[in-house]
Amino acid sequence: MTPLQFEAEHAAAWQELDAALAARTRRKAAATDRARIASLYRAACEHLAVAESRAYPVWLIERLESLTARGHQLIYRQTDFGLDKLARLFLVDFPAAVRAHRWHVLVALIAFAAPLVVTGVLAWLDPGFILSVHDAGMVDEYEQMYGNAAGPIGRRGADSDWQMFGHYIANNIGLAFQCFAGGLFFGVGSLFFLAVNGALAGSVAGYLTRRGFGENFYSFVVTHGAFELTGIVLAGAAGLVLGHALLAPGRSTRLAALEHAARGAIVIVYGITAMFAIAAALEAFWSSARWVPAEVKFAVGAACWLGVLAYFVFQGRARR
Amino acid sequence: MPDARLVARLDTRYAAETPEGIALWLRPAGVVARLYAYLADFAIRLVFFSICWLFLVFLGRLGVGLGLLLFFLLEWLYPVVFELSPGAATPGKRMVGLSVVMDTGLPVTPAASLTRNLLRAADFLPSFYAFAALSMLWRHDFKRLGDLAAGTLVVHAPTSEGARGAPPPAPARPPAIPLSARAQAAIVAWAGRVTRLTEARADELAEIAVPVVAPQAMRGDRIRALAGVAHWLLGRR
Repeated sequence: MTPLQFEAEHAAAWQELDAALAARTRRKAAATDRARIASLYRAACEHLAVAESRAYPVWLIERLESLTARGHQLIYRQTDFGLDKLARLFLVDFPAAVRAHRWHVLVALIAFAAPLVVTGVLAWLDPGFILSVHDAGMVDEYEQMYGNAAGPIGRRGADSDWQMFGHYIANNIGLAFQCFAGGLFFGVGSLFFLAVNGALAGSVAGYLTRRGFGENFYSFVVTHGAFELTGIVLAGAAGLVLGHALLAPGRSTRLAALEHAARGAIVIVYGITAMFAIAAALEAFWSSARWVPAEVKFAVGAACWLGVLAYFVFQGRARR
Repeated sequence: MPDARLVARLDTRYAAETPEGIALWLRPAGVVARLYAYLADFAIRLVFFSICWLFLVFLGRLGVGLGLLLFFLLEWLYPVVFELSPGAATPGKRMVGLSVVMDTGLPVTPAASLTRNLLRAADFLPSFYAFAALSMLWRHDFKRLGDLAAGTLVVHAPTSEGARGAPPPAPARPPAIPLSARAQAAIVAWAGRVTRLTEARADELAEIAVPVVAPQAMRGDRIRALAGVAHWLLGRR
């Protein structure tokens, strides 16, 4: 059979497939029925294989290659958008992914909490210690932010709620993403970012407690901390999942192990993005308000911590 | 004949096999094309942000807050949104003619797109995307670290050049002797390239084949004679 005969014999089927694919991609109402597309696609695959083995001319092979590539994209694409998928993420997938990686979470927690406690105690024992972590200008600002001045807690001068909301989103979520991405360097980056952030937070807490601003400071951080501190630890844990896969790939290659691990870790990153958004809103509009008594903030904060912990322990378990 | 292994090393085409057993040929995009796309995207984001900023400053502190929010969205989610839209490419990639696909040849999934774009933070280190550049130069398929973890590829979008490789018009003539399948394919492939070769080169190549396929045309227009044989082989008789 000559190439031209071959082309003439099958051109009608190819045109039909071409038209059907174009209609499908444009989401036309009267699209061709799926079984028909599938069988046309399989036929085109067969024709491509035949054309290649008989060394048919370039235009014929390219036409079939483009047809089959488009058909392949349409038939095997994964549609994982949608609201049910989103609901399932927060009801089941996110807490389940955190539980599945509980050892990574534990390591991340230690990497974050140990420097936090150590620097906290050191700054509390010796208020001068904070200068070896932060510079003097920053320390001055912290005193103003959490001191007994008139403005909202945790602010420099007259920054507004909305301005701070934008700042918290841009800064904190970016930080969490870095913490995750650092895991690609065998987990070292994640551990580094966790430890640095732990030390920065711990030294401020210790210093302010010593200076007598403890109530202002803790009432400020307690509520959004439930989301933000857990969030940063989980971001680090997601990074460690990547690092662990690279260090100990088991029976697959390092690259295959990394790809597999990333599919699990990205679920945690979806979840913490939402947690940081909640934290930023709380931090901007609730935590800084002076008109809310500290006792109320501690009560609400405690409820948030319990809620977050219960969410990760109980939510989305299979029913017995 | 060139060494097959050398050809395989120089050829950066990437074969993704489908369940039907055919190969989809993807053409991964290298460092330079992707750098242009990145610079274009950077400029677009900068201009867009600057224009928005002109209006946001009038809103005072609320405007600063919204500006920071916008900055965050542009920094992290701008590529994800565009990669998940039809065309699977940011405006910068579209200008250069690139698109993002899974390394199975399928459309990029939301999870993979987010993974590759968040891991840009790792690609950026130590500065100016040095790790991304190293990884792309190192690998045959030009994946950066984010692509490795997400299992994605940045490819040159397929172009539809119409009927490529059609032989120039010539009266069909049968070959003088029976030709093997390989010889037939070589003649048809030559005829497809004639329009893109200089006449002298086309003639030089034709000289090799003419004595076997059309000896009576030895002294005449060799290109026309051999193109006629190609037409005959294609089925115009």
